[in-house]
Amino acid sequence: MSKKLLVVACGIIAAVVMVSGLGLRADEFTKDDVDRYQDEFMSVVEKGRKLWGSGDLGTNGVACGQCHPNAANTHPETYPKFQKQLGRVIVFGEMMNWCLQQPLEGQPLALDDPDLIAMEAYARWERRGVALAPGKH
Amino acid sequence: MTDSASRRDFLKGAGAAAAASTLPLSMVKLAFADPAQDFTFAYISDSHIQHIKGNEFVRNWDRGLIRAVAETNLLRPKPDFVMFGGDLAQLGTKAELDHGAEMLSKLNYETHMVMGEHDYYLDLGEYWSRLFGDQHYSFDHKGVHFVVLNSILTFDEWTHERWPTPEQRMLEMAALDNPNGSPFMVGEKQREWLRQDLEKVDKKTPLVVFSHSPIQKIYKGWNFWTDDAEEVQALLKPFDKATVIYGHVHQIQYNQIGNIAFHAVMATAWPWPYPESYAQAEQHMPVLTVPMNRADPFFERDATGWQFIDVATGRVAMDYNLYNNTNRRVAFDATKGHPVDTAYQAEADRIPPQDHY
Amino acid sequence: MNGFRIALLLTAGLTLAAGAMAGDADAPPLGLPPVPIPEANPQTPEKIALGDKLFDDKRFSSTGEVACATCHDPKKAFTDSPLQVSEGIEKDGKKLTGTRNAPTVVNAAYMTTQFWDGRSPSLEDQALHPPVNPVEMGLPSHEPILEIVRTDPEYVEAFKAVFGKTGDQITMDEVTKAIGAFERTKVSGDSPFDRYFYGGEKDALTDAQRRGFDLYVNKGRCVSCHVIEQTQAIFTDGRFHNVGVGINDIQDEIPTLAGEYIDAGITGEDVDIEVLGDKRSSELGRFAVTTSFDGLGAFKTPTLRNVAVTAPYMHDGSKKTLRDVVVHYNNGGVTNEGDPVNDFLSGGIRPLDLTEDEIDDLVAFMDALTSPEFAGLPKSLGLEEK
Repeated sequence: MSKKLLVVACGIIAAVVMVSGLGLRADEFTKDDVDRYQDEFMSVVEKGRKLWGSGDLGTNGVACGQCHPNAANTHPETYPKFQKQLGRVIVFGEMMNWCLQQPLEGQPLALDDPDLIAMEAYARWERRGVALAPGKH
Repeated sequence: MTDSASRRDFLKGAGAAAAASTLPLSMVKLAFADPAQDFTFAYISDSHIQHIKGNEFVRNWDRGLIRAVAETNLLRPKPDFVMFGGDLAQLGTKAELDHGAEMLSKLNYETHMVMGEHDYYLDLGEYWSRLFGDQHYSFDHKGVHFVVLNSILTFDEWTHERWPTPEQRMLEMAALDNPNGSPFMVGEKQREWLRQDLEKVDKKTPLVVFSHSPIQKIYKGWNFWTDDAEEVQALLKPFDKATVIYGHVHQIQYNQIGNIAFHAVMATAWPWPYPESYAQAEQHMPVLTVPMNRADPFFERDATGWQFIDVATGRVAMDYNLYNNTNRRVAFDATKGHPVDTAYQAEADRIPPQDHY
Repeated sequence: MNGFRIALLLTAGLTLAAGAMAGDADAPPLGLPPVPIPEANPQTPEKIALGDKLFDDKRFSSTGEVACATCHDPKKAFTDSPLQVSEGIEKDGKKLTGTRNAPTVVNAAYMTTQFWDGRSPSLEDQALHPPVNPVEMGLPSHEPILEIVRTDPEYVEAFKAVFGKTGDQITMDEVTKAIGAFERTKVSGDSPFDRYFYGGEKDALTDAQRRGFDLYVNKGRCVSCHVIEQTQAIFTDGRFHNVGVGINDIQDEIPTLAGEYIDAGITGEDVDIEVLGDKRSSELGRFAVTTSFDGLGAFKTPTLRNVAVTAPYMHDGSKKTLRDVVVHYNNGGVTNEGDPVNDFLSGGIRPLDLTEDEIDDLVAFMDALTSPEFAGLPKSLGLEEK
């Protein structure tokens, strides 16, 4: 085959490949993708749920779930808000850190710590459907 | 208004509201017809003494019980006896029960105990019974018949066969929101005991039942639930004046079902959210209840407390003694035929901290 | 124009000029909210000047030696530092003492109650008590005060100008309103902390003070009672807490003491005399006012503004330095680690596990709460010279 013919053939094959979906466009995702992303999320929610019930987060064996079964009464939908216990407006992760230090007598986590994020995912999941109310006391 | 007048009212206001809880009989007696039939008893519940290791216990819960005992000892006039409403320990260990018993021993009064699930599921109440005696029983006092139920039992299979170790079983029952848990019940055997016990009691005798679980069906997800509630209620139905006092829920609740008034007691350890604040589940919180004030978690004793109960002419008036909070009083209103919060029952009288969401 | 009138105008001028300290109605000092002014007692320069004169008047005592300013000395940030408890009239050659440490008047205008146990609902009411307390100003009644203000020519003119009243129309109502108005001008903010947190001046705090601020809000657990908020800080929640000072020493006696107190039926104005006259009654704290369980050993959270210059500390003046105070809190509400904790301790108090350096940093931070006008006064930090 001549060189020219080879180039044209490659070009046609490439065009066919692109149009046929073997290399999807960036803005296209399928229902399987969405389901998979949701599962990825729920795996972290599940991790958060376990941490929520763990007595190992602090130093005294107390778990979040002892006072907040099903993450009730944490009100993640109200953050950021003015938090009386810290004297300023904070995000949800900072409040969890407050609890880690105070009732659980432990150390705070970095705000991007995977464990803290997992617990936030769990608390928000248990609060799904409740309208946002930032700042509400 | 002159300043001296406003100051008089100021002192009077602060004093009167508070005095109602420290001088129980003198202020309470005035409200009821026949003083000779009045007596009071105190109710401390849900201390959840939690062992960390060695000689260390969770300080927060220890302080709650210490304070309840110290304040109960100050009551004047003295209460006739003290009830402990269950969940003395957190995981039912010997260390926890001993530590709790030691703190309770400082009470200057006769004390009767109610079984809680946190006391029971490690060894099915064996050590608890060695310390405190029968798990269900009854007694009479000044013309009132008192019954103590062990209402935190559950299905035999769950209790005896499902879990590989007692520790595992205790842990599974300990987490309130655990889907592996199992609903509370009084059970057929104990209901039969109750039926026989009540048969001998005149139906005009005031009846007060102490229970850890609510003898109602409020929210199953958190075991604010007694599976055979209707059957137990049916046994109480023939009585003119019946009251059920229950623990477990760590919050103010009260209700009236037919002839039975229901009163929940506070925990000394920590408060629980109201079931309506869990967005994913349906629940049946008694509509009558005016909720307790929302807690500030910095103050470890906020939304915790103990109670004293006035039994006047066979009906119960319960004073919730809440640390550094406005005390609450829920008393049976004869004209309405159900318990009423004496300050906040009307919608218009509610205050922002009573808004739970 | 007589001397008093000139003084009146000068004071009025000074009052307006010193806007930052004097609590100009339009612009409170940096870090403070507007001063609450009761509708029944609006501020006027003349009323404030009259209040100042009354505040300084020693004739309102049985010996003619004690004025409000004796225990609330303007030169000592309106306290009588370093006295542990205040000294009143002299009797048999010796000054009578009370049981409590004189709180500062500075920023008292923001409090919702007055006195360590909140037994007064207002500044006006508070001023009624010391004149007739036997260990303070020792008058048999308020009559001697009224006699003076109704007949002394300078007062006669002033009361007429301020209230439009003369002779028997002048009552303790007018007297205390003038004093209250004067006290409402004693507000101060603009401390290094205020400039840092509200003024955006990153360099206003030292490194130690910045670390101390972080501890104050987190590990030190201070902010919930000594309140700092997003746009202003009055450093008090106005509530009553048992933090284990004083009551620890009478722990075993509480049941009998509390019972005796209730039996004695001490109410109303008698509370003031009882708690300042009897130390054991004084330790009952808020209970002496409300006879409520949660008042046992509980005292009002004071402001921390200018705390470095208002030693000694706590209701009984038992803590000499700020470091002593922090150590007490670090120990979980006892003076010496391991001492028994009283049964009625506030749920907000518990051991803090602070290191020695962290304690020093917290003290350094509290030093940063001193307003410029008091910065020159002697301090009682308790820090070692480094």
